Order: sequence, then C-alpha cells, then structure tokens
Amino acid sequence: MNGTLSNPFNITYPTAVQTSLVSGASFAKFDPSGRFVAGGRPDGGAMIWDLNTKAPIRWLDGHVKGVTSVDWSRNSRYLLTSSKDWNVIIWDMATDWDPPLPSSTVRFDSPVLSASFHPKNSKILLVLLSLGEAYIVDLRREYKGRYELVEAQEESDEEGQVNKPRSVMTVARFDPTGKHVFVGTTVGSILVFNTRTKTMVARHKLPGAGIIKGLEFSKDGRRLVANSSDRILRQFNVPTYPNPTAGEELTEQELEPTYRFNDPINRNPWHAMSYSPDGEWLAGGAADNATHKIYIWDITNEGQFASTLDGGPEPLLHVHWHPHKPSIASTTNHGNILIWHCPTPERWGAFAGGFEEVDENVEYEEREDEFDIEDEDVLVQRKMKEEEEEVNIEGIDGTAQATVEHARAQSGDYDDDAAWALEEPDDDSRDWRMRIVIEDEE
Amino acid sequence: MKPVYKLKFMLSGHTRSIASMKFSPDGSMLATVAADKLLKIWNTEDGQILHTLSGHTEGISDVAWSPDGEFLATASDDKTIRLWSIESVSTVKVLKGHTNFVFCVNFNPQSNMLVSGGFDESVRIWDVARGRTMKTLPAHSDPVTAVTFNHDGTLIASCAMDGLIRIWDTDSGQCLKTLADDDNPICSHIKFTPNSKFILASTQDSTIRLWNTQTSRCVKTYSGHTNRTYCLFADFTPGKQHIVSGSEDMKVYIWDLQKRQIVQVLEGHRDVVIAVAAHPTRPIIASAAMEKDLTIRLWEDGNAGAG
Repeated sequence: MNGTLSNPFNITYPTAVQTSLVSGASFAKFDPSGRFVAGGRPDGGAMIWDLNTKAPIRWLDGHVKGVTSVDWSRNSRYLLTSSKDWNVIIWDMATDWDPPLPSSTVRFDSPVLSASFHPKNSKILLVLLSLGEAYIVDLRREYKGRYELVEAQEESDEEGQVNKPRSVMTVARFDPTGKHVFVGTTVGSILVFNTRTKTMVARHKLPGAGIIKGLEFSKDGRRLVANSSDRILRQFNVPTYPNPTAGEELTEQELEPTYRFNDPINRNPWHAMSYSPDGEWLAGGAADNATHKIYIWDITNEGQFASTLDGGPEPLLHVHWHPHKPSIASTTNHGNILIWHCPTPERWGAFAGGFEEVDENVEYEEREDEFDIEDEDVLVQRKMKEEEEEVNIEGIDGTAQATVEHARAQSGDYDDDAAWALEEPDDDSRDWRMRIVIEDEE
Repeated sequence: MKPVYKLKFMLSGHTRSIASMKFSPDGSMLATVAADKLLKIWNTEDGQILHTLSGHTEGISDVAWSPDGEFLATASDDKTIRLWSIESVSTVKVLKGHTNFVFCVNFNPQSNMLVSGGFDESVRIWDVARGRTMKTLPAHSDPVTAVTFNHDGTLIASCAMDGLIRIWDTDSGQCLKTLADDDNPICSHIKFTPNSKFILASTQDSTIRLWNTQTSRCVKTYSGHTNRTYCLFADFTPGKQHIVSGSEDMKVYIWDLQKRQIVQVLEGHRDVVIAVAAHPTRPIIASAAMEKDLTIRLWEDGNAGAG
C-alpha cells in the first residue's frame, strides 16, 4: 500500500538503524507477522517487543539459565524458548495472564542448544541437545513421544573403522515445509531426515567445511546456506528427496555450493545469517569482536557482495531478516537489538495537493486542450459521466492472490508428510489477538 | 434493493449536544459522547443504557472503540484523551499532550496505537499501553477535524478546516500526499473505504466526495443534504452499498454508493443531525442530533432482513 504511494527507490535491503531496543538479549527474532520481535537473554529471561510502539509488551520468566533459542509458531500465537537449564517452554500469547504462564514445559537431561516448532503444527518440536543429539518431540496424543534422529552408518563404517570419530550434531532445522529435518555435524556433513518416519534420507558431505555451525533456509525452501568453521558461508540449491516409502535407498551426495560467501579481507567467521523474504538477498552477521557489521550479498546477481551495514561499536551476535519488509534485527553483545530499515527522504511536495516533484528539469508538454475554455455545463456533464464508473471499495488486490498463494503453499506439497503433520492441529488460528496490557501509572 | 430504514429505538439521556457515536466492533453496544462531558454506552439489542462514564472536565467531541473491543477513547475540550476499559468500566489512562481542544480520535487495527487531532492543528500518534505520545505531526494549518488509520494501520489520513486531506506513513510520520479540491471547502470528516483505496470526505459545501487515494481524483460526489456549519459524520451502511450522513436540515440522507442518488431520507430529528454510525454487521443505522433534540435514533432496514 505504502509502496505504491510513496514510490521508494527499489532498495530491498535496509541501510540504516531505525531504533535500538535496550533488551539485554543475546539474539532476537521477528514473528511471522512482523509486528513483534522476541529476544532471549543470557539470564534466562525472554521478552517480546511491539514494533509499532517500539516498547516491550511481554516478559517471559520461566528459565533459570541462559535462553539459547526462540521460535514463533506460524501465526505467532505460541512462542518457544529453549535454555541451558535443560528445558523447552512453550508460551501461549492468547492467554489473559500477564506475565504469560508457560503452557507446557518439556524437560531434557542436558542443556538445550536449540528448539523449533514444526512449520505446520506447533505440537511437533525439533530439539537439539548440547551433547549433539537431535530429537523430534511429538506432543500430540496419538504420537506422543521423543524420537531421536540417528545417523545411518556409512557402509565403510561397518567394515570395522572403529577409530573414526563419530559425528556429533551441531545444528538442526526444519525445512520451511516441515517435511524434512536438516542436521549439521562436526564432520562437515548435512544429514537429512524425514520428519514423519524419522529415517535418514540423505547425507551430504561438504568437503573442507569443518564443523557446521548454522543452517538457514530461504522462505521458499529452495535455498539453504550453511555456516561452518572454515569461515565460509556455502549456499546450496535444496535437492528433492524421494519419499521414504518409495525405497530404502539413502542418498549419499556431495553438494556443490552455488555460491560461497566469505570475508576476504578480515577472514571473519560468521555468527548468523538470514535471507530476505524474497530470497534475493542474504545477510551475514560477522563475528568480529570490535565492530557490528552485516554483509549483504545479492543472490539474484550471482551472489555478488552488495554492501556492509555498519551498526557501530557494539559487536554483533545475531541477525534476523523481517518476514516481509526490508528490515533486519541485529543483536549486539551489549544486549541491544538494532532494528534496521530503509529510510526514505522526506518529500515536501507531498504537502501540496496536485504537486509533483521531479528530480531534474523536464520540458513541460502542454496537452492539446489544456488551456481551452470549455463550457461549464460540458465540464460538469463530463464529470458526472466519469462518476458513473463503478468503484470497488471492499476488494483488496493482493489479498486474494495472497490467499491463493497461501492455499497453494498449504496444498502444493500435500502428501503423507503434510497430512501427518496436520493431524491433531494446534490452536494457532489466524484471528487470535495479542491483548493490549495497559502499563500501570507510577 | 432500496433500503427501507424504519425507526426502532429512541434513546435519550444526554443533556447537551451529542457530538459523536460509534458501534462496538461486535455491534452489541453503542457509545455516545456529548457536550455534557459524559460517555454513555447503550445496549443495541434493547436500547437500554448500560453505563454512564464521567471524567472529562469539558465537553467531548469524539469517541472511538478499539478494534479488539477492549477499550474506548474519548477526545475532549479539556485537551485530554481518556482511555476507558470496557472490562472495568473506568478510565485506565489520561493522555495529555494536546495544547488545545482535542477534536477527533481513532485506534489502529491492532489496537496498540491511537491517533488524535485537534485545535492545536497537530496530529498525535499515541502508544495505547503506555499512554504516551510517540509522534506529533505538524499536520495542518487549521483545526484538525478527523484523523483515521487505514485497514492495515500503515497509513494515517487527516483532514482539517484548511480544506486539505493528508495521507501519512504511520511508521515514519512522513506526509505521503495531499488531496485538495480547487475551492478548499472546510473538510469535516473522512473515512477510509474497507479496502483503503478510497477516502470518503465530507466538506462544508454540502457535498460528500469519494477520493481515489492512488490517483488523487474525486470519483464520486454525493449531494442533496445541507452541510455548511458543522462537522457532520458520514459512514458506509451495513452491506457497504450505501453512504449515510446527517444533515443540517434535521434529516438523515442515504445515497446509493455507485449511482450517487438519494435512496432514502430519514425524518424525525428536531435539530441538526450531527452524528451517524453504521452497525458493523446488521442493517442498523444510528443517528444523533444536537441541542434541541438530544435523541439518538436507531433505524433498521426491513428490506435487508428479507434478502
């Protein structure tokens, strides 16, 4: 809506810090609507900020040790926090309680490195423990349980190579459809599991990568970027995998990166990366302990480096791209969440009706009849005729399309896996509201 | 297809001129404010008064429901806006900042922000939860008569006695465009269409215009009523096929949205019909008149029920 009115230069990555939220957080993630940002703190607290008012609206007090990850359910009703205190907590934002109470707690026997919701059903969780074990935790009545994702042995292993180091899982992510789980390991491989059957369907080795430190998907699920200890971000096109029911065959395949991103000058490692909503840009947060730098690469332009965003002296810990705007949330090690945006210059011409600002001199071309003196009656009649045209005051362009796209996204990969995930659906409906809690006067 | 609105209830209680009224988002209640400094909430079903709320020290000019149905905001000549909780039926915040009469107020769709305008010629954007001004827009050069958010809250539109309608970006507070007619008649009220592509603007040349916000052109003109002195409200009727407005000739006018003809005139009020409001779901219109009348009338369309 604003895009068409304000006509910005089509920059699709942010360029300047709009606000800094003093939060004490070590990382922050936008919710899927883009209205909120959730931050996790090293002291075990978590908080939600309203980006309209730039104010904290919820404090989530449930962990006694550092929060390691947060995840939002698809309609933002549920928030999941994982912590070094061995717990994963699911919070229901639709409850009237403030502060919200945990709606369920899942306890493990070691610190939790990360946890996330299944993209289609928040009753299915993916949890990674600090010992390098990944679990699918199903909270649904019918499937209730914890299922460990176990790496299938390589054929060569069976021939007695006992001294070969066992790979440890370092990162675990659902793909955007939730059909597969992608796991990174200490030995530079990416393992792919089917979420429903929990069987491993593929193993991809990334030669020279070292330890896999992070995995991020583009929103459409077609691209995957891996962060590894060799300080290179490798981007891959995500292959398609056969249905596990079709055969027992395990895909063993080296993945050739479409692009490699690194910092050729400082050789900085990376803390985090995030795709723009259209997948056309990639933001990488540099792990530099003296500066706050975000590198932006142009994926559509052969992965060329586009820009560095300088966020000042507070070192960066995390970056996350807004779900639909050219905006990024980057967190500093001082606990500030920087919200980046695209500033548009004020157009003073907007204050005058019918006034059009031009960038340079334009030879004005007079219309043939521009200064003709016309009979007032004729003018009125023409105006009346123009007004005969029907207007549509209710339909919204794009919404219909968005609904269609949404339906397609829901049905496009509608198969056994999607049907399984949608069994016993959660209550994360689109029409829930975050209640406004009036702050007490002091 | 023509509406046949018939009088259903007459509500009386205010002792001075009624200024504004709005149906609650679920339609169960009607909130009215008046120069008698009171906010009254009525049951739409039976026309009974539910609550009378006092607090303002001067007359009230406008009232708005939060879209989540939890709060009401009232704009007063005492230079404050009061935020009322429906649950506790009491004031929860007094918003101070305007330096002159506050004339108009509205919530954004998420209910977390308010906009207000007044005789200090500014538009203020407020954080509802904290009751603090977030931004002040130097919006106009005359009293601001109406201010409202669009359907997704990304835009704000304001209009003023300077005859201009301005559209603002909520996030940055920047002016995006100005809609102006050649003659600049005083603009009394504006309302976005449900899709925010158009703005319905009432001006004190006894005309209501529908503006296309993209092309900045007037696409429909509605006339036949009288509006030269007061800031009269206009609204889309339930079903969105018609436009309804009060009139200084003590009548309520209903036009066909597309054809621009008057399809019904409601008579009965004994003073200027300043406020009208359309029920969100049912074919019910409310109208309220000034000092010599002081009644609020609810009208129901008999035709719509059959169809």
